[in-house]
Amino acid sequence: MTTAQAAPPLPAPDPRDPEDRLRRFFDEGSLRPLGARDTSGVLAGRGTVSGSPAVAFCTDATVMGGAMGVDGCRHIVDAIDTALRERVPVVGIWHSGGARLAEGVTALHAVGEVFAAMVRASGRIPQISVVLGPAAGGAAYGPALTDLVIMGPAGRVFVTGPEVVRSVTGENVDMESLGGPDTHGRRSGVVHVVTDSEPAALETARLAVDLLAAQGTFGPAAEQAGPDLATFLPEQTNRAYDVKPLVSAVLDEPGLELHPRFAPNVVTTLGRLAGRTVGVIANNPLRLGGCLDSASAEKAARFVRMCDAFGVPLVVLVDVPGYLPGVGQEWDGVVRRGAKLLHAFAEAVVPRVTLVTRKSYGGAYIAMNSRSLGATAVFAWPGAEVAVMGAKAAVGILHRKKLAAAPVGEREALHAQLAEEHERIAGGVNRALQIGVVDEVVDPAGTRQRLIEALAAAPLGRGAHGNIPL
Amino acid sequence: MAVEEIHAEMVSSVWKVLVQPGAPVAAGDTLVILESMKMEIPVLTERAGTVQELHVVEGEVLQEGDLIATVADA
Repeated sequence: MTTAQAAPPLPAPDPRDPEDRLRRFFDEGSLRPLGARDTSGVLAGRGTVSGSPAVAFCTDATVMGGAMGVDGCRHIVDAIDTALRERVPVVGIWHSGGARLAEGVTALHAVGEVFAAMVRASGRIPQISVVLGPAAGGAAYGPALTDLVIMGPAGRVFVTGPEVVRSVTGENVDMESLGGPDTHGRRSGVVHVVTDSEPAALETARLAVDLLAAQGTFGPAAEQAGPDLATFLPEQTNRAYDVKPLVSAVLDEPGLELHPRFAPNVVTTLGRLAGRTVGVIANNPLRLGGCLDSASAEKAARFVRMCDAFGVPLVVLVDVPGYLPGVGQEWDGVVRRGAKLLHAFAEAVVPRVTLVTRKSYGGAYIAMNSRSLGATAVFAWPGAEVAVMGAKAAVGILHRKKLAAAPVGEREALHAQLAEEHERIAGGVNRALQIGVVDEVVDPAGTRQRLIEALAAAPLGRGAHGNIPL
Repeated sequence: MAVEEIHAEMVSSVWKVLVQPGAPVAAGDTLVILESMKMEIPVLTERAGTVQELHVVEGEVLQEGDLIATVADA
């Protein structure tokens, strides 16, 4: 008697297999390797992402932990140069322990050539990194040089590992705290998007490729009346709120937020407006009252420069009480780092429209794509305030003596009266309209429409510069 | 049991305290409302669970980094 014998189970595919990872990244069946599979530690290929052609390479963690040697590095350089020639995005999937020790300085030289290729391509084609395992030592700077870094739960990026750290500084730290998703998503800002699974990381990279490679054009603004965007603001003007729902409502659908937990007082989101890719920069009053500070100015500056380099128009949603005051900020280089945002906006040639929803004060007013920095258009909602500072605070300084001389009981009323007068002559949206720093007061319900019209009417420039990781 | 420490992000004064130790909270709930830069700024918990410790009282002035509360997983 014979019994049906189950075939021995096939060995489970190694989840780190680079071919498998590339296959999962590209549209089904579209992967065409650029070269034969070898022991170099890198596999590269062409394929499509939602129909758009792209190039990707993946370090081969099944060979020496993905360590990078001369041959592997040459595959990466070839992949980047191929993408550059064909003007398509290049995606790097990283799982690598760093340079191959056995190859010595030759390997370091090869890794350096990868960096040089990335810089050659910077600002010309979108470069996106997906970190799925360790990317240590030299491999750490690979992702860091690219436009967007996406990290899965097992991703670890650091220059020196826990053992070296322990032996040199005596600090006891594990790989995750040293360079895991929380560290880089929240503290260092190395990673733009943290995901909770490897498939989600690859899916996010696909979305980023689609947004940057298939930007589309502004469709006819079909809607009769858009959503009443004013409902996303609290009634009380001094109440903080989360700006993210407003950002989502301005876009066709919620976009891809970059750096959601790093410098969260500024929100930077790629999404689509009337079908076309745009970048949104918004102050978030929920965090730090929406103040700009050194980290958020730098984050926004990098985002602006990336969008400018790839011809992505910008929408700037302003509700900013100013720059965050304090010794910590000054010592942290808020002047030097804040200057980057001024530089980024002033040099940007993509269409860029500003909307002041509630208030825009002081130096932060200038930094948030003001008329003076060359905004395509500056809109404001009714009741918005554009000023050097809040009217009440301003008259407190301007009329200090007058207020001090007033009887205590009448001081508050006098203060309010002076503030009202001051707002009439120096603040308020009417004065801003008069002097031409605000072009138009727009109805919140018609805002999307006006944004689309203003962006679509402007000539679409594209900044001729690289995207240095500010 | 994971515990989330919630610190002040900026110099501010405590305007309102909305929870007490032991209170159950959902992710996104407001714990206290701070006042700074002439704005009322709610402080939210990212973690659902129970308020374990509360370190501030209304009217108190906070420095950047001061511990406001801890929230433990339910």
